[in-house]
Amino acid sequence: MKRLRWTAVGAYLVIATLPLVWMALTSFKQQRDTILPTAKFVPVFRETREDGIAFKVSTEGFRKLTDRAGGSDRSFLYYIANSVVIGLLSTVASVGLGTTCAYGFSRFRIPGEKDWLFFILSTRFMPPLAVVAPILILYRQFDLQNSHLGLIFLYTCFNLSLAVWLMKGFIDDIPKAYEEAALVDGYTQWQAFYKIILPQARTGMAVTAVFCLISAWNEYAFAVTLNRTDAVTAPVYFAGLQGNIHGVPWPQIAAGVLMFVTPIVLFTVLVRNHLLRGITFGTIKQ
Amino acid sequence: MKRQAARCVGLLVLLVAVGVFGCKKEAPAPAPTPPSEPAAAPAGPEAAPVEGSPGKALAEEQEVIIWWAQWDPSDGLQNVGNEFEKRTGIAVHVHQIPWPSYQDQVTMNFGGKQTNFDIVIGDSQWLGWGATKEFYVDLTNWLKENVDVSAIHPLSLRYLCEYPTGSGNYFAAPCEIDATGFTYRKDWFEDPEEQAAFAAEYGRPLTIPDTWEELRDLAEFFNRPDEKRYGCVLLTGRGYDSLIMGFQQIMWAYGGDWGNRETYEVDGYLNSAGSAEALAFMKELLGFAPPGATNFDWSKCLEAFNNGSTAMQMNYFTFYPSICRVMGDKVGFFIMPRKGERRFASLGGQGFSISKKIPEARQERAKKFIAWFLSEEGQQLWIRQEAGFTSNVALLKSEAFKVATPYNPAFAESLDHLKDFWNIPVYGELMTTAVKRIAEAIDGECSPQEALDTLTAEHEAILRDGGFLK
Amino acid sequence: MGKSRFLKYGFVAPVLVVLIALNVFPLCYNVVLGFSNAELSGGPWQFVGARNYARIFSQPQYVAAIRLTAVFVFCAVTAELLLGFALAMGLRGRFPARPVVLTILLVPMMLSPAVMGLYWHMILNGHYGVLNQVIALAHLPQPQWLTDPSLKLASILLIDIWMWTPFMMLIALAGLNAIPQYVYEAAAIDRARPWTVFRRITLPMCAPLLVLAVLLRTTDALKQFDLVMAITGANDSATQTLSALLYQTTFRTYKVGLGAAYACVVLVVVIALASVFVRYIDHIQQRQGKQA
Repeated sequence: MKRLRWTAVGAYLVIATLPLVWMALTSFKQQRDTILPTAKFVPVFRETREDGIAFKVSTEGFRKLTDRAGGSDRSFLYYIANSVVIGLLSTVASVGLGTTCAYGFSRFRIPGEKDWLFFILSTRFMPPLAVVAPILILYRQFDLQNSHLGLIFLYTCFNLSLAVWLMKGFIDDIPKAYEEAALVDGYTQWQAFYKIILPQARTGMAVTAVFCLISAWNEYAFAVTLNRTDAVTAPVYFAGLQGNIHGVPWPQIAAGVLMFVTPIVLFTVLVRNHLLRGITFGTIKQ
Repeated sequence: MKRQAARCVGLLVLLVAVGVFGCKKEAPAPAPTPPSEPAAAPAGPEAAPVEGSPGKALAEEQEVIIWWAQWDPSDGLQNVGNEFEKRTGIAVHVHQIPWPSYQDQVTMNFGGKQTNFDIVIGDSQWLGWGATKEFYVDLTNWLKENVDVSAIHPLSLRYLCEYPTGSGNYFAAPCEIDATGFTYRKDWFEDPEEQAAFAAEYGRPLTIPDTWEELRDLAEFFNRPDEKRYGCVLLTGRGYDSLIMGFQQIMWAYGGDWGNRETYEVDGYLNSAGSAEALAFMKELLGFAPPGATNFDWSKCLEAFNNGSTAMQMNYFTFYPSICRVMGDKVGFFIMPRKGERRFASLGGQGFSISKKIPEARQERAKKFIAWFLSEEGQQLWIRQEAGFTSNVALLKSEAFKVATPYNPAFAESLDHLKDFWNIPVYGELMTTAVKRIAEAIDGECSPQEALDTLTAEHEAILRDGGFLK
Repeated sequence: MGKSRFLKYGFVAPVLVVLIALNVFPLCYNVVLGFSNAELSGGPWQFVGARNYARIFSQPQYVAAIRLTAVFVFCAVTAELLLGFALAMGLRGRFPARPVVLTILLVPMMLSPAVMGLYWHMILNGHYGVLNQVIALAHLPQPQWLTDPSLKLASILLIDIWMWTPFMMLIALAGLNAIPQYVYEAAAIDRARPWTVFRRITLPMCAPLLVLAVLLRTTDALKQFDLVMAITGANDSATQTLSALLYQTTFRTYKVGLGAAYACVVLVVVIALASVFVRYIDHIQQRQGKQA
């Protein structure tokens, strides 16, 4: 049984990682080697034949990332910096607001609770394409376009539905006995929330934060519409690379994607303990 | 039950209220429409005629903002713009938008009270749309007075700038003129062994094809899939217009057309025997192409040729500088083949159009830039940019131009055979249906004649809806 | 009494206010414009009654898009659920390098769909794509992932499953980890068999979270657009999902009125689907006594 388990997980691990390995290989290739009819697997440090399976290692992909992009004075690093700022801030906001709201719905009787929750969920239903034009109009009215604040606000709102529903699911799992005990001890509701629930809900918050960050990080439609030059994020950078008259620069894109995914991986590593922790109930519930 | 009813009513009232007061209308409409007001959101800025900055300051800024797609010619234009700034003190900003989103962004921007750009460099197909919706400034008189119109290649003027075609009204000025052509593997064509084998098999020498039939023979000859060598690649991308650009020149050579450009009749043109033959021929040619070549846009065609596997590639001249870099001496160029006496090349390139939704002062400044760009001085600077292509007749004919790059002679000649797709406002629908139906024929889901018959019916419906076909 | 009422609203009000502010206008925009002939670039428009909706329901294109979307969503979510849950079961408990394995498994989900579509285009391409080359090494016939009409949807499905199985896995893992140890200990004392433990304890206890995950994933899959756009473009009859059709209508033919009508139809479908799920989640939670 155990061997089956490990074979299965291992097999999936290998298959799922293969495209990523290929991407890593691509990022070290020269442009030419990425489009040859013979796929090249083996990195070496000398000149190679066209039809062999070896390719010469080159850092051209990574170096090109520091080039100016899109007619502006900024390179890929600027785009990533924007993504980091906007992603992190909107994640913090949506997880914070979402948890608070989820706690409210979980612990209190709020009139029309089911409808409100469904409404929150329904903000996720509209395809982004249908919403781009009206949001652009709205943003023009408030002059929020081309600003970091505008995008942060937008992403926070988009992620709120996910945050509220996920956190409600996690908070529902935490028995009320804890807070009741705290309230009896003289804590206020807010303190009970802050000191008792939040620590227990850390797994949920970690999971939610990862999803919210990913969602804000990878968003494209609004990033390109609501921007001129200031708050552009990395997905816009990648889209822009497609117009290169020398052909799509695969090594550059691969290198860029690897770098782009690194902050999220780092974030996940940072919260890994919270992700893997269980919610333990201890001795109260018997 | 009562609560549910109350909820529904509340929602309905909310919807109607916001709908009535919230939806902005951009121009007064003759038909009954709700009153146009600023959006229902509470604290909107009051009645600012120009979004962003106060109107006066914007009009006085010494700058010209140009929107173009994100690619190398835009960088070239920025360089030329910097020269303009040195001479006149007016700054030129070329704002580059990723290709996949370019059309969407421009369209949405025109929906505001004022556009964020002064000049947009748009596709030739957008002309009708821009002209009839009053987005593009009418440049007819200005162009004749400020630019040497005779110096511009007539077909470039006709297809990039004129709407309706043939009317003499201009809504754009040429920026980048482009055409489709072929690149080929000169080293393979000049290899004595290949030449002997070809002569033995086809009974004539191995030369650059002049007719489509000759091209077909060459494609067949060089198609060796076991050696990972292929005969040809054609523009067949379904994402935007590549398939149309690739197909239409074959169709025109075989005698078909999209329709009668004056009466807008489609029946008898699009579904004529010539068009069906052309589609069948294109399908046959794609049999000599690499796997997956039935959906190759310009970048995939480029890759298929640059990786050394394909003998002949159909692509736009804009990309030839980069091909020269990669392939060096191994590449040669030839113009679109003919069938019988008919030879056509798809028009590429874009033109400058000035937005009508900006203050007069800015329009004047934009005109200044365009006039300088089209002058001899500006064009000399432009062709020195890596991907800059000119439609200046004098330059095109000059000896210096002909020897400057290996593809210039082919380019100059191609301009004499240009033709374009519909440029009327409903071109979007015409194009998407065309891509769909022609793709079905190429994929083998129906015969060419069937696809074209279906397409003809659809095009006629669209043209009738748009008020063009009576 | 008053203080507590203020308090409870204080917890939920900010989120509700913000969401209402941002969502009501786009909703009304789409509802109102669905009855008009507006164009994307603005300009005067008129109400045309239900003409857009009549067009939608009579076009075979629309029916095809609905069918395609339904097939896609069903296959994708089912596969992701099964695979994700199986993976989570495999990853419970402690073992060395657990965080590393978990992080690596999560990476596909962290990649931008828009960029990934482009990148998978390079892998699946029949001309120089590496997948076909590997298949050729095994002397198997090479499928044309990007141009064979019967394979295009499968390609998009595969990529979607590759990307989003980690999502299911993570939520399932969180749910599995939430089951308290003493429950299993009690079951062990009762000498329950593994299958019974699974069926009676494990599955029911993480069911709410799983159903929630399915709900979230379904609503996202229904909006699937980036992959379709990158792999085949929005104009391909083999892969034209509702979102792709919406994009074509709004951004290529500029008929934003018709596009808004499509959006409303999609919205109604999703609301109907989601209600079913939500009711099911409520039902499970009530059975577990989580609700008062």
